[in-house]
Amino acid sequence: MKQPLIRAESVSFDYVVNRNDVIPVLRDVSFSIYPGEYVAIIGHNGSGKSTLAKHLNGILKPIAGNVFVNGLNTKEDKYRRSIRQQVGMVFQHPDNQIVATIVEDDVAFGLENIGVPGEEMKERIDFALDAVGMSTYRNRPPHHLSGGQKQRIAIAGIIAMRPQCLVLDEATGMLDAYGRRDILRVVRKLHREGMTIVTVTHHMSEAAEADRVLVIESGRIVMEGTPREIFQQQEMLHQLQLDVPEASRMARLIHDQVPAFQSGLISQQEMIDEVRRLSGIRGADAG
Amino acid sequence: MEKGLTVRKIVIAGVLGAVAILLGVTRLGFIPVPTAAGNATIMHVPAVIGGIVQGPVVGLIIGLIFGVSSFLNATIPLFKDPLVAILPRLFIGVTAYLTYAGFKRVSEFAAIGVAGFVGSITNTILVLTMAVIRGYLAPGVAVTVAVTNGLPEAVVSVIVTLAVVVSWKKLGNAGKKKSKISGDF
Amino acid sequence: MAAHEFELTRNITIGQYLPTGSFIHRIDPRIKIVAFTVLVAAIAVCDTYAGNIIALSFVCLLFRLSRIPVGYGLSGVKPAMPFIVILAVLQLLFYGEVASGGTVYLKYGVIIITSESIRLVIVSALRFIEIIFVSSVLTLSTSTTQLTHGMASLLKPLKHVKFPVHELSLIITIAIRFVPTFAMEMEKMMKAQASRGAQFGQSAWWKIVERTKDMFPLIIPLFHVAMNRAEDLVLAMEARCYTPGGERTSYRKLRARPGDYLVLLFCLLFSLFLIWFPY
Repeated sequence: MKQPLIRAESVSFDYVVNRNDVIPVLRDVSFSIYPGEYVAIIGHNGSGKSTLAKHLNGILKPIAGNVFVNGLNTKEDKYRRSIRQQVGMVFQHPDNQIVATIVEDDVAFGLENIGVPGEEMKERIDFALDAVGMSTYRNRPPHHLSGGQKQRIAIAGIIAMRPQCLVLDEATGMLDAYGRRDILRVVRKLHREGMTIVTVTHHMSEAAEADRVLVIESGRIVMEGTPREIFQQQEMLHQLQLDVPEASRMARLIHDQVPAFQSGLISQQEMIDEVRRLSGIRGADAG
Repeated sequence: MEKGLTVRKIVIAGVLGAVAILLGVTRLGFIPVPTAAGNATIMHVPAVIGGIVQGPVVGLIIGLIFGVSSFLNATIPLFKDPLVAILPRLFIGVTAYLTYAGFKRVSEFAAIGVAGFVGSITNTILVLTMAVIRGYLAPGVAVTVAVTNGLPEAVVSVIVTLAVVVSWKKLGNAGKKKSKISGDF
Repeated sequence: MAAHEFELTRNITIGQYLPTGSFIHRIDPRIKIVAFTVLVAAIAVCDTYAGNIIALSFVCLLFRLSRIPVGYGLSGVKPAMPFIVILAVLQLLFYGEVASGGTVYLKYGVIIITSESIRLVIVSALRFIEIIFVSSVLTLSTSTTQLTHGMASLLKPLKHVKFPVHELSLIITIAIRFVPTFAMEMEKMMKAQASRGAQFGQSAWWKIVERTKDMFPLIIPLFHVAMNRAEDLVLAMEARCYTPGGERTSYRKLRARPGDYLVLLFCLLFSLFLIWFPY
């Protein structure tokens, strides 16, 4: 078995509101993320999913338990830079992640922080901007960009640092449908090229793209499995105030009417294939 | 508390500097008041607030940003002089912080209010003093401006500082968690 | 309230960079900043008629060399005209006592007009126009990013006395970065509130507290937006390995060419000439 890239062992975390008020957010959470995986973390608002994500690169540190990134404990300050370089994170609000006044300067920001020499920086910036399809915007000021474009710049800023894992903390939450589609396309491409992806999302269609889904409720992992396994359990998800992807719901409805139509579909593409398959059969019958 | 610049101090100085610039280049920074001057400016309030919530260094830097921006955007000769436009502004956040730190033990609320007042008065007095020294204003005119403009400005500054800082601190306690998890935990 | 009053973004003139590709645009920003500072200082000191006329011709020449339409410089002066005039009148009427040298032309009660006070009035108006012109040349020929990098690079030696040079330039970068963002946010807020029928500054004119409160729905959210964004940005910067005071490399490298130093030398000599010019 491959070594896990990120390993969380019985992680618990509380928020201390004031001296007497402690809100437990994570309770005894354990899981591993392996190199090259695409993992989605879903849960309703307040379930702890975002807090969990912030443990993956040591922005938050567990009160009990440990998180290891390539064997390095996030609690140890001396590993902080190394851990954050290995696990990059993109946040929800596109505007609040961009530091510089020019796109390429912003991509350079992280590189300057980890001490990449000047000559190498240009190469890495070119690569990163190209990977997110924003090369032509390199000299623009960020406020002239759309939300989706800003978010792609944020991703470029992370991948220029050559992390092994990209964590998207509701990175599509503030975007319109176009922006979201662009981000998903970029993420899919990065994953194909070997990047480990962890995405925290409440868009179930995004979770459906992952290899594995973790469902969080009240600070615990309550379900885990492939998207297909998870989205089969509509009733259970419903109890957790979670939805299923559009495609799954539609597939079910159609399945109720047309039993030949498979019910366990989770993506648009599968829907299209299924319709093609069935209409192909019908075509054959007629012929 | 004052041990170098933390990431939070850097960022807060930056965004409050942005607010100071914005108030300066738009009408937003001017509140109409019943004096000959017509407008009380609140452009110096970000420096006051920065000083109170993040200490003198942050207050000083925001004052610097405010000063440079008012120098670059000046449309009256008085503020095209860096000694009038920039130098006095450096002290706004610092005096506000010192006042706040001094009165904090008495009452948090009062300390914020008095700091708002002192920060604003610092701005008025130092700018006008420099204006007199540099020969833009006769001393008599300066005193008149200090009263007709400086006082309403100080009142406005107290109100805005209190409104922002009090709600910020209140939010701050409940918000310590919010700050770390941006809305979803 | 007229619609144009909402359009804050359009009025923002910080960073009014106008790329014309002139040789002044290409000068190393550090050189430009130093030359600018020296020139402004010299202008501020120079108080003779002849000196100011020479200085004025020089800054007009700078405009030509930077290929920036003079209109841009004049547009900086235009809104200032009423102030210049009012200030000139006030200085003319009440400054005689302070600037008491020279011939007395008129004395009527407190009003004293002397040749010295007239000189003071004309010279300060000229100085003002010159400074507006010089700073326009600087800001129109140099992007804010370049200016910030130039400043940071100039202040670098201060690192030895523990002065946080990089942190300061980062703060300024963040400030410049967020001005347009906040402006757009304000615009949205103003429009939203105007559509709900809010009116700004409609209370009676003597009620300072009320009038201030009228502005509250804009001012207070502005500060809150700023503070909340700050919290997010702190996280994002930490996630990107930023540590204040840490060793960093830098992407932008400034390089001054020999020609740039010549420009600097010329400006220095010119400034000295202005300061010591006897007439």
